[in-house]
Parts: sequence; C-alpha cells; structure tokens
Amino acid sequence: MAAALSAVVSAKLGCPPAAALGSWKGSRISSRNLVSMKTMTARRGLVSLRSPRFRVFCAAKAETVGKVMQIVKQQLALGEEAKLAPESQFTELGADSLDTVEIVMALEEEFGITVEEDNAQSITTIQDAADLIDKLVAGGGGKPPAAA
Amino acid sequence: MHHRLLLRRGAMPVPPPLPPRTPPPGVARPFASLPPPPPLQSRREVHVWYVCPDELNDHSHLDMYMELLSPSERKNALSMNGPRLQKDAMLSRALLRTTLSRYTNSKIDPRSFEFKKNKFGKPEILWRSDDSNMEWPWHFNISHTSSLIACGIAMDAPIGIDVEEKKRKTTKSILSLARRYFTPSEVDSLAKIADSDAQQKEFIKLWTLKEAYVKALGRGFSGAPFNRFSIQLKTNSRIQITKAPKVCNDSDSGDYLSENWRFALTELNSSYYMAVCIEDNSRGSENGSVPLGLKVWKTVPFIEDTLVSGTDAVKLIT
Repeated sequence: MAAALSAVVSAKLGCPPAAALGSWKGSRISSRNLVSMKTMTARRGLVSLRSPRFRVFCAAKAETVGKVMQIVKQQLALGEEAKLAPESQFTELGADSLDTVEIVMALEEEFGITVEEDNAQSITTIQDAADLIDKLVAGGGGKPPAAA
Repeated sequence: MHHRLLLRRGAMPVPPPLPPRTPPPGVARPFASLPPPPPLQSRREVHVWYVCPDELNDHSHLDMYMELLSPSERKNALSMNGPRLQKDAMLSRALLRTTLSRYTNSKIDPRSFEFKKNKFGKPEILWRSDDSNMEWPWHFNISHTSSLIACGIAMDAPIGIDVEEKKRKTTKSILSLARRYFTPSEVDSLAKIADSDAQQKEFIKLWTLKEAYVKALGRGFSGAPFNRFSIQLKTNSRIQITKAPKVCNDSDSGDYLSENWRFALTELNSSYYMAVCIEDNSRGSENGSVPLGLKVWKTVPFIEDTLVSGTDAVKLIT
C-alpha cells in the first residue's frame, strides 16, 4: 500500500500541470457534490475559499491525504484491504471518541502541529483532517498564501 | 400496574384504546411480540438493554431487524466500512426501535419511530404533533463497543451512556492522553497510580464517565470538552462533577456545565465498564444519597431477554 501510494503521488507529480489540474478538478467537483448533498452551506463556502490554495498545493494535498489515511489505518487497526477515501468519515470506519482523539494526537506528532479544540470539532473526514493540516502547516491562518 | 402509572402521572384520564399501527403492506409482522419491561419506577431509575453482535448470526433474524429500519437508517448502515460495521450499525438502530416500542407497550410499532438531532448531533425522538398517541416521557442514548451495543432508557430525564472495554489498549500513553484532554487534577490523580494496569483501568473509568456526562448534556465530545470539568472517583462516595477553573482569556465560560447529575458506573460481563448519567432534579438533602437505580437486560430482540441485574454479569462499582 505504501508503494502504491508512492506510485500515485509520483504519478501526480509527473503529470503535466494541466492534466493534473483537470484530474483534480474532477475530484473537486465530486467533493463539491458531496458537500451539496449534505446541505452544509458553510462547508460550501469553505470549498470556494479553498480554490486559490488548492491550485498551488494540489500535490501536497494528495500527499497529506495519503499520510492521513496511513495514520488512520494504524490507529484503527484496519487491515490493508480496507478501502479509505478522502470523504471517508471516521465514524464510518468504526472510530469512537477515544479513537478520534488518538488520531488527532498522532496527526499532531506526524506533522508537528497543534490542533485547537475549535478546529478539532470540524474534523469528521480524512479530507477535513488533511485540509486542516495543510492550513496549519502553512501557518496561513486560513488566508490564501501570498502569491510567490 | 397501568393504573399505578396513571396515578403517578397525576391521574390523567385514560386515553381511548387505539388500534396498533398497521405495518407497511408486504412486510410480515414479526413472529413474536416484544415482552413489556417492568415499568420505570421513578426519574431516578434507568433501564439498559444490550446486544452482543457476534452472537447474532441467524440470517432470518438479521433480515427481520433490517426491515425495522427507516430508509435513511438502512442507507447509513450500508455506508459503514465493511460488513462487520454495517451489521453493528443495523443492530444499533434495531435495538433502539425495539426497545422504545417496549416502553409504549407495543402501541407504537418499532418501524414507526422518527428521530431528530439537537444542534450538537444528539439524537432525540421526534413526536409527531398529529400523532393521536400521547407523547411518552422517554429519553434514550446508545453506546457501542466493537462487541457490545447498549441502549439506555430514562423517564423525563436526559440520559447519557457509555460502554468501554476494560482492557482497551491505547496507542498513546495514558498520561499523554490525560494531559491533552483531562483536567490537571485528574492528571494528578492518574499520575499517582504506580501500577500501569491500574492506571489504565482508572483512565478508562474516567473516560467512560466523562463521555456519559457529555452525552447526557446533549453536547457530545466537541461541545463539552473534557478539560472543562473534573470527575472525582472516590470509593464509598457519590461521583462528583466540578467545573475546571476558568482559564484566562478562555472564551468558553462553561455555563452549560451543571453539577446536578447522577451517575452509575458498573462492570459488565467482567469485560466492560458502563457509565450511565442522568439529570438529577431531586430536591432535599434526604434524597441526595439515593443511588441511581439501574436494571440491565441482555436481549436478542423478539427472541430472548435475560435480566442480568442481580447476577455476576453486572457489578456496581459506584
């Protein structure tokens, strides 16, 4: 699985930028539909705010998601055959509150961040965790980073 | 019994008997009825019904339970990752629906219940205003482990229940978890326990009690952070809740935390800690020492019920 993940990441890194963006855009549309299905308007707003950032960091995003999946599998003792997706909810993977706090602590150690209580409340999926991690690692405080 | 129930409710007039709700066409009526439980005697009493998923493998029974679920519950159960989690999610809803139906003396079919969630996500019964049935006074809460699902029922009092495996292993050290999520006084009490097994058990007891409390409050883990309140576990003494000292510049005032709650902590089947928490509105110090009354059944819905209170399977810790 680690090798497969590396292959996926390498493939993304090796893709021409346009193709990568196209591929990611498809994923984004799917994600947006999921958010709409949940009728969470706040989340929909957040999705649009992510656009500039996501164009710059799409590779990092995929890498972060992959790492989060690995940590979640370890913490929940899921077998290698368990199929995780960015939109997988921790509760759908059988996590209870003690599992979830252990996942948060493991992510804090892995990425050298501290997740405040308010932020922890919003983490219910792997994608939520990855998005928050990238935000905290960048230290942007939620603002899009300044253009390089 | 029914008469006494009415007297306790202030001699309400007896409602006219209602025909039982007709199940949807094409769905066979379950082949056995749900035995009515002994009535909850007071606001200080809690009933708990639990199932062991690994012991429920008869396909015809599982199909019958699946039929009790609403379409959205079925969809949610099937969205779980893997057949084991799907079965557990299905049994959780079936246990809830069959248990609630018992407490209406089967006047409400298990399939007929509807649920809503409060703003923190705590599930509650949605009583239809157009229902001719009167609104029943039941509150419920559910807890899962990987091998046991429990449903707690209380009368006219918000309830929280949590079940954890006694020997649950954590990947993080007990003290690092406690420092991150508990109050300083709780960390201190855990740090004083030299034996690592004893320390782990004490941590699980505290976690279970804190979880039951935030579920009873209806705010859940994120809405009532564990480091806002302390639980003191003392032998031969009632479990105490105190608010943690307010941190400077902390925007969370903790106003939602109150101390008039009643707990029971039990050991179940020698393998689990189960904590139950209900709101305590009793007045007068004379009632202060009356413990929460707990009755526990193991059930295979429609098939078999076993009262386990009063046996070695249920040991009251405090």
